[in-house]
Amino acid sequence: MSQSRGYAGQILEVDLNNNAFHRNELTQDFCKDYLGGIGFNAKIIYDRAPTGIDALSPENVLVFGVGTMVGSTFPTSSRTEVSAKSPMTGLFGTSNSGMFFGTQLKNAGFDALVIQGRTDKPVYLLIENGEISFHDAGRLWGKDSWETLDILRKQYPGCEAALIGPAGENLVRFACIENGYYDAWARTGLGAVMGSKNLKAVVVRGSLGITPDNVEKLIEVSWKARQLIESSPFFGPFKSYGSMNAAMPYGNFKALNALNFTEGCLPDWKEKFARPKVEELTYGHVACQSCIIACAHWVEIKEGKYKGLRMKDMEVTPTTSFGSGCGMSLEASVKAAEMSQRYGMDMVSAGGVIGMAIELFNRGIITADDVGYELAFGDDDAILHLMEDIAHRRGLGQVLAEGALRASQQYEDGEASAMHVKGLEIPMIDPRGRTSTWSFGILTNIRGGDHLRCRNPIENLRYNENKHEFQKERFGFDQKMYDALDMPDTIKSQAIDLENDTTDIAIMSRWAEDLINLFNSLGVCIRPPVEHRLGPTLLAEAYTAFTGIKITSDELMQSSERCWNLIKLFNLREGEKPEDSKFPRRFYEQEVGGKKLNEAQLQEVLRQYYVARGWEPMTGQPSEDKLRELRLSSVE
Amino acid sequence: MRKQLIVDSTKCTGCGLCQMACAIKKKRQCEPSLARIRIWRDETRGMFIPMVCQQCENPPCAAVCLMNIITKDPVNGLTIRNLDACIACRACQVACPFEASHYDYLQEAVVNCDHCQGSPECVQYCPTGALQYAPLNAVLDNGRHNEALRRICT
Repeated sequence: MSQSRGYAGQILEVDLNNNAFHRNELTQDFCKDYLGGIGFNAKIIYDRAPTGIDALSPENVLVFGVGTMVGSTFPTSSRTEVSAKSPMTGLFGTSNSGMFFGTQLKNAGFDALVIQGRTDKPVYLLIENGEISFHDAGRLWGKDSWETLDILRKQYPGCEAALIGPAGENLVRFACIENGYYDAWARTGLGAVMGSKNLKAVVVRGSLGITPDNVEKLIEVSWKARQLIESSPFFGPFKSYGSMNAAMPYGNFKALNALNFTEGCLPDWKEKFARPKVEELTYGHVACQSCIIACAHWVEIKEGKYKGLRMKDMEVTPTTSFGSGCGMSLEASVKAAEMSQRYGMDMVSAGGVIGMAIELFNRGIITADDVGYELAFGDDDAILHLMEDIAHRRGLGQVLAEGALRASQQYEDGEASAMHVKGLEIPMIDPRGRTSTWSFGILTNIRGGDHLRCRNPIENLRYNENKHEFQKERFGFDQKMYDALDMPDTIKSQAIDLENDTTDIAIMSRWAEDLINLFNSLGVCIRPPVEHRLGPTLLAEAYTAFTGIKITSDELMQSSERCWNLIKLFNLREGEKPEDSKFPRRFYEQEVGGKKLNEAQLQEVLRQYYVARGWEPMTGQPSEDKLRELRLSSVE
Repeated sequence: MRKQLIVDSTKCTGCGLCQMACAIKKKRQCEPSLARIRIWRDETRGMFIPMVCQQCENPPCAAVCLMNIITKDPVNGLTIRNLDACIACRACQVACPFEASHYDYLQEAVVNCDHCQGSPECVQYCPTGALQYAPLNAVLDNGRHNEALRRICT
């Protein structure tokens, strides 16, 4: 598409084996079938990555896919998806991040960046207004991500960068790719993939411009979307407290990860982490490109050991991972977040693997001789020390750098303490504390133990009742909210039972996954006010206004479903088994808040979910009919 | 009373919608560097400052203009340019203390904010009120400016 509208129009393919590259023109069919972002990534990786490769081998394909709406006035359109085969799960690895990288990459001329191969010596890649160059990264290797970015920004003012820290260089399996200073494509170990390619950074700077197909229509749809988002009841709270809003309800539900999932909440959770603490530590809000919410905070620690530390933080992820998962103080959890950013490690997996190590220590399976010091929940210094050891693969860090599952297998009965699904550490939202679409989605997530790919768009945090059948959660809203939900009537009426005030978890999960996947394709944020108010009808209008490609809301959802199915096919090809979709044993055996999971019931919900997806009810294999419907039969 | 584009940097979240709105209004392009407003970002110290033409009484840009094409509009007080005669020497860019003269590579001229004929697009888009269009003395607040200075200087 030489006269591209909305899209930049090209995919950049880089071969690090011989520092070569070429540009591929996008075709309209490809755009319509896979949209952008995670859709592009899924198709490219499915086609290019040979079956059964080692995720840390040169054959692995690392793709940066910019969401279609990125770089427009459309609210919250900032997100870029990065994917590769995951060194954590051996399945599809993928992670989504916002800020300004995607806008710059598109303005530099590319909708996606595909990286294969491995260089002999560390390099960084510079992409500037359609030009590509390879640079020696010898002087950057070993530096943490903040230092590296300082140097790069000095050399290339105004640039954005995707980069790795020491953890990525040392192939810590859950290393992340940093997106600027404070954000990251964190989950599933993509930083290790980048490190295995000897690629320190991707630096982008661009001002080529993106031409919308229909400017007036784009502006109109953007304002409509904005008014919808601002009218969501979740908007006000999110504008004020961001994702920290979820911290207290989940504590009340006993659905946090507390002390490596041995508890549902900490006794002093409220005093340590509630809203007044957020206000005490923060002084302003931070937004990604074109965002009207600005959910993140500037944090400044004014007293104590970590005095003077300033960064963007106070998100629910580091707070639960380090604060409740490892029992750290709030200030130390900010410090832990800083170290995660500097070293380039996924905070969820780092917190998960450290929580596991402390539990193994308490069980007497590992000792002070193994670690070099004592470990305990809430021992801030020891935990921060251990993080350093992991990033540099020193001492016990050498074992823990392999992630919870692999590390636990080093010890007899160690796996009982590894809180993972399919090899990826679970962040929070313990299904024992809360039966919901959101917690169930951890089981069916195509990237393993994670909560961000399946959230009921009308998650109601006011209620946590289990008086319903096990496959239902309480809907808890009125007819008006029901009517306002942008969802085809056929699916809506199956998913939500207004009369009984319930939502069907299996059916809603399928919808929520496809919806979030659509957001991740278009580069729109999934924060609750956005996910709640925007649906395929409006997004189809926005897509057509921006790109000029006509698409209906049904086609849009189908493209998203196609992507989800293709990733499932990839996972099955790479060895996922039906029995892998299970929570850690602890969730079925030990109670939290007086509840534990019933395995047979959960299997039944899973079966219903497979049916809702048009997959084989017992195995979760996409059926031939479904593949034909999605025009995926030929990929088999 | 004359209105001014007033910046409260303590409210700026750095979302960049002002730049996007300006570029799309003036140039029909989604390209932040075509905007006549910029956000000065200092992520390491945690602050964003929108930088835009202050419509100075005695504009330094006019003083250095080789072609003498920058003047003050006597009616609305705006700093205006005869862009047809601009040779894009960019002396005005160097002189501006607010970094608010911008080279427009599509027009091959240096431009500044013109308040969009009394209804600045950036102000409409700004989600937090960091940008306001109001009489100058209505919004001045020394406390906020001092806070901004404290953050820059520490």
